[in-house]
Amino acid sequence: MATVIIDGKEIDVKAGTTIMEAAKLLDIYIPHFCYHPKLPIAGNCRMCLVEVEKMPKPVISCAMPVNDGMVVKTDSEMVRTARKGVMEFLLINHPLDCPVCDQGGECSLQDLAMKYGPDRSRFHDHKRHVPNYDLGPIIETEMNRCIHCTRCIRFSEDVSGVEQMGAVYRGDHMQVGPFVESRLDSELTGNLAELCPVGALNFKPFHFQARGWELKHADGICSHCSVGCHTRMDHLDGRILRVMSRSWNEGNETWLCDKGRFALDGLANERLTAPMVRASQGGELKKVSWPEALDQAAKILKSVKPEEVAGLASDAVQGGEELFAFQDLMRNVLGSGHIDHRLRQRDFSADELPLTRADLLMNTPLASLNGADAIVLVGFDPRFETPILNIRLRRATQAGARVVSVGARKLNTNLLNVTEVVVAPGGEVARLNAALQALDHDEACAEDPVAALLKGAKKPVLLLGEGANVHPEAEALRRVSVALLDKVGGIGPNWNGYNRVAARANAAAAQDLGVVPHRGAGYTRLERMGMNASQILEAAASGQVKVLFLLGVDPLDEALDRDLARRALSKARVIYLGAFYGSAAQKAEVVLAGLAPGERPMTLTNGEGRVQRSARAVNGPLEAKEDWRILRALSDRFAAPLGYNDLEALRKKMAASDHRYDLSRLGPGESAMACDHSPVTRGLPVTVSAAAESGAAMQLLMVSSFYRDDPVAARSKVMGQLARDGRLRIHPDDASGLAIVQDGLVRVLSGERKIEVRADLDRRVPHGVVIGDLGRGENATRELGDYSNGYPRVSLVALPG
Amino acid sequence: MKIVYQNIHLANSHTLAVYEANGGYQAVLKAFELGSDEVIEEVKRSGIRGRGGAGFPAGMKWSFIPKNDPRPKYLTCNADEGEPGTCKDRDIIRYDPHRLIEGMIICGFAVGIQQAYIYIRGEFYRETERLQAAIDEAYAKGYLGDNIFGRKIRFHLAIHRGGGAYVCGEETGLIESLEGKKGQPRLKPPFPANIGLYGCPTVINNVETLASIPSIIERGGAWYGALGVPKSSGTKIFSVSGHVNRPGNYEVELGIPMKTLLEEHAGGVRGGWGNLKGVIPGGSSSPILSAEVCATITMDYDAMAKAGTMLGSGAVIVLDKSVCIVRAVARLSRFYRHESCGQCTPCREGTGWLAQIMTRMEAGHGTLEDIDLLSDICNNISGKTICALGDAAVGPVMGALRAFKEEFIYHVEHGRCMAG
Ligand SMILES: Cc1cc2nc3c(=O)[nH]c(=O)nc-3n(C[C@H](O)[C@H](O)[C@H](O)COP(=O)(O)O)c2cc1C
Ligand code: SF4
Ligand code: SF4
Ligand code: SF4
Ligand code: FES
Repeated sequence: MATVIIDGKEIDVKAGTTIMEAAKLLDIYIPHFCYHPKLPIAGNCRMCLVEVEKMPKPVISCAMPVNDGMVVKTDSEMVRTARKGVMEFLLINHPLDCPVCDQGGECSLQDLAMKYGPDRSRFHDHKRHVPNYDLGPIIETEMNRCIHCTRCIRFSEDVSGVEQMGAVYRGDHMQVGPFVESRLDSELTGNLAELCPVGALNFKPFHFQARGWELKHADGICSHCSVGCHTRMDHLDGRILRVMSRSWNEGNETWLCDKGRFALDGLANERLTAPMVRASQGGELKKVSWPEALDQAAKILKSVKPEEVAGLASDAVQGGEELFAFQDLMRNVLGSGHIDHRLRQRDFSADELPLTRADLLMNTPLASLNGADAIVLVGFDPRFETPILNIRLRRATQAGARVVSVGARKLNTNLLNVTEVVVAPGGEVARLNAALQALDHDEACAEDPVAALLKGAKKPVLLLGEGANVHPEAEALRRVSVALLDKVGGIGPNWNGYNRVAARANAAAAQDLGVVPHRGAGYTRLERMGMNASQILEAAASGQVKVLFLLGVDPLDEALDRDLARRALSKARVIYLGAFYGSAAQKAEVVLAGLAPGERPMTLTNGEGRVQRSARAVNGPLEAKEDWRILRALSDRFAAPLGYNDLEALRKKMAASDHRYDLSRLGPGESAMACDHSPVTRGLPVTVSAAAESGAAMQLLMVSSFYRDDPVAARSKVMGQLARDGRLRIHPDDASGLAIVQDGLVRVLSGERKIEVRADLDRRVPHGVVIGDLGRGENATRELGDYSNGYPRVSLVALPG
Repeated sequence: MKIVYQNIHLANSHTLAVYEANGGYQAVLKAFELGSDEVIEEVKRSGIRGRGGAGFPAGMKWSFIPKNDPRPKYLTCNADEGEPGTCKDRDIIRYDPHRLIEGMIICGFAVGIQQAYIYIRGEFYRETERLQAAIDEAYAKGYLGDNIFGRKIRFHLAIHRGGGAYVCGEETGLIESLEGKKGQPRLKPPFPANIGLYGCPTVINNVETLASIPSIIERGGAWYGALGVPKSSGTKIFSVSGHVNRPGNYEVELGIPMKTLLEEHAGGVRGGWGNLKGVIPGGSSSPILSAEVCATITMDYDAMAKAGTMLGSGAVIVLDKSVCIVRAVARLSRFYRHESCGQCTPCREGTGWLAQIMTRMEAGHGTLEDIDLLSDICNNISGKTICALGDAAVGPVMGALRAFKEEFIYHVEHGRCMAG
């Protein structure tokens, strides 16, 4: 501990704390440009100079650690003179084009110039001119404004691990920019513009859209993946124009990924603006009044037996409110137990077991991941499933943690110390089981990369990602993962390293609030299990389910088996409640126009099981309504309507079924607890089926396309520019054997099904495997997928053209 | 009194044979006998201060290296010799490289270092060849390597050639460059003694400093300490350049009057002492002294500091009355603008501004306000930068403004130079 006196105020701080941080604790603001709490110290701007008693020269407070007994003055004559000098230097070569600068009004340089800058320039010589760069769809540059603070460089090197930004030349010719002009190859580029204290790096999509001071702000929670980053939605005239990060130390710190920040333009595309009804089969959708639409929906629902109705919900765009009300309506008003949100899942065998919340979610809080010393990724591509979680893992690896990734493909990773164990598709269970056995034998253990990593680790973590969650033997894989971690003491009261990371923002809320066929809200057991997503689609296609009620979900975009989804939607009568006009609305008889994220208050439960609330920023289309109110109004047309008339009452009901949703117990500024759940179920038997035989044909692995994988992102033009989807990835060696060339057209056949797609040669694809994405559009590889056949065998024919 | 340059007049003085024939590689054996702690004590006793410019006591620097630290330790010899006017290290390397090598082995032994580097400026091409040849000889003789002098002592030495940046002579800029990065000085603290090359404890010394060590060990710290004057002990090589009749490197005892150095050693000021305008006493970054001050000042650290300048690297630049001070300062300012690494605001922006004003002033387009502005800019740079290059850039301008302000005013008022 050290006691320091800053501006006459005394404080005890940990030894090694900098003057800047100590001052912060005292609420003393020291002006700065290059200092950033989450980046390595550079100490180059010199704005933060302070006077320290007994030191002849001013010192930089951002880098100088305090000593016991130190007396600091942050506003003495010496300090003011120093600041004025620095300010003048920063301004001489600055273009001072604030009136046309996006940063105007929110600029550190502008703000501090008001306080310390000269009102007249003494500089009459030549101003520097610096070239601009095209850095891709996210960042707009105006490098004349750069003040060389190197925040962007430090972020690129330290946080994103993509060393593309740097400084070339020296002295006042120094230029900050990419070493080689090219688009920034990172999922975190937006942070550069947010970090840049001036208007040198700006958001391209926001360029010239508004002045900072005109914007209104609403606190949001990102709904694009299960990290649940804290955002600030900046809006003007009913449109969200920009998403900024809100600082949240336990989660996103001050970062956001490019999807979370820039998918928002998708909110404005293909919107449903009013309720509609289709007069006849195959007829046109016509705008109608709300009562008419709801009457029609009720009529359809009443025309069949309760068990002939099934509901599917989106866990990406719907809030906990709608999810809760939806299952409430399905079960208690319509009397059907067929409800699910897991359209990507193949293995539902775990539904028979009373799995706990801990089994299904993360158990290591995001904030603790930095401390892990051994990391096992199972079917998980953290960088392109949960980018901000990936930053935590990267921090752990920077501190020395080692990583083994077990999966059917190689990752494009920025983690350090990674060993990739690539298995044949589906081979993960056997692989992990071998590691489990190896733990018993020293020799085998040393040779098995997973066992060797885990043995002796003090804080091991194992993370199951999308590749594990959609695995044909997902439950076996989950169990062997638990067993493995348990064996090395990784699941205990003090450290729990077992994590099942969902890809979708609100998958946890859907689990918690009973949007599954085998459990009610709050993990209550049901007398009778309903049908799961795959069964629902089968039943709809066969005519057993006659009405499909879709909440925000478009099965053609979401289901693993698109062909089945198409058959289901054309056979059953469809009621669609949601915000977007897609293939589901195209097929629906009744379309109920709901709202999108940002337009309604919503509860989002992140991967850690942390219940969070996102505020409403803007109003949706004039005639669209808050989704849960639509459900509530619909229920009025039945014998026992839903028992809540306002948001408060609904949230009380949610809280009553799961105490974690009772946020009234939180004090101001407190956030809900992460990993607030009972222990992981241990000791379940591990089963390993015979390894799939590798045949002559190639196997198709389908992965989701990170930038396009939810209804909003899928409609975003910016995401379209970032995504590299819609292609079949194949190893160049395999390709050359089949005469397939880069960008060449390939016919892909799997049984009866076939598609044509362009090829992308990629050395990361294992031999004997082709990787397609679960994309949208007509020729998506997902046309070839089905629920039972895990990794379809396909044959490829190169086509001319 | 010649210590560092004692052999350079001998034929083939750069060879191992000649060095050994004249008592070379005996001090290191004595050092082994003394033991590492006692070697450091001797160096402390000698009072030798760093000859690279900052004048930090070498023995003290060595004793800062943490003992019982599990990390490897490094020794780096600063042979960047970038300070304009300085050319003393070059002659050590050319004519007595083994003296440097022996000094480095002694330092390595004293501090417990197994790997050393010589960071040599890129322009020293022939010098590098000669130094490498000497290192090769020492390796062949077993003076460098895994078991040097047949003992269980490991000491390896390698040369790294710089790319010609002045700022890479600054010790932490040098370390960055040696690590393969852009030569940008680091923030201090932490100091290299704790976190230096590759994050490990590192000693950095100038060539002349290290080349003085063998004699100190051989003849004792007390002997060396008695040379020169208090707090400026020993000998120092002065690179005398400019308007003297015999420019060159002169090794003399510290504390010698400047006038003696110029008149007796360097052949006298061109046109006689009366033709002297001023002297830049310690490399281009040391503030210039007027002829009046030069007449009485002595060449030692304290006297220089008292006169508001510094002994620096020992480059004595003599300017006679033909020199236009404004032009000379403008040239130096352009040098510093060019050599600023650009990292920190005051130096990056300030050196460019100074150079632009000085260039304008030289061309006769200055104003009286510019003169005040120059000193404001200097004050705003000085003491507020990451490394001392900022202060170095300020030195010539401040010095000239102090000693020759009337020349600036003349330039403004007449649009041309006083000196014609
Ligand atoms: C801008 C700048 C340039 C320097 N250039 C050199 C140089 O070329 N050679 C040198 O020995 N020291 C140079 N120094 C001094 C070194 O930083 C350092 O003090 C010195 O190498 C330490 O060795 P010493 O203690 O033996 O003098 C320079 C310092 C600065 C600030
Ligand atoms: S571009 Fe912005 S963040 Fe990067 S160095 Fe320049 S001012 Fe700093
Ligand atoms: S990491 Fe996930 S939650 Fe965070 S900004 Fe990106 S998409 Fe949103
Ligand atoms: S003072 Fe100049 S040379 Fe030194 S770090 Fe700052 S900009 Fe670079
Ligand atoms: S904030 Fe301390 S030097 Fe920039």
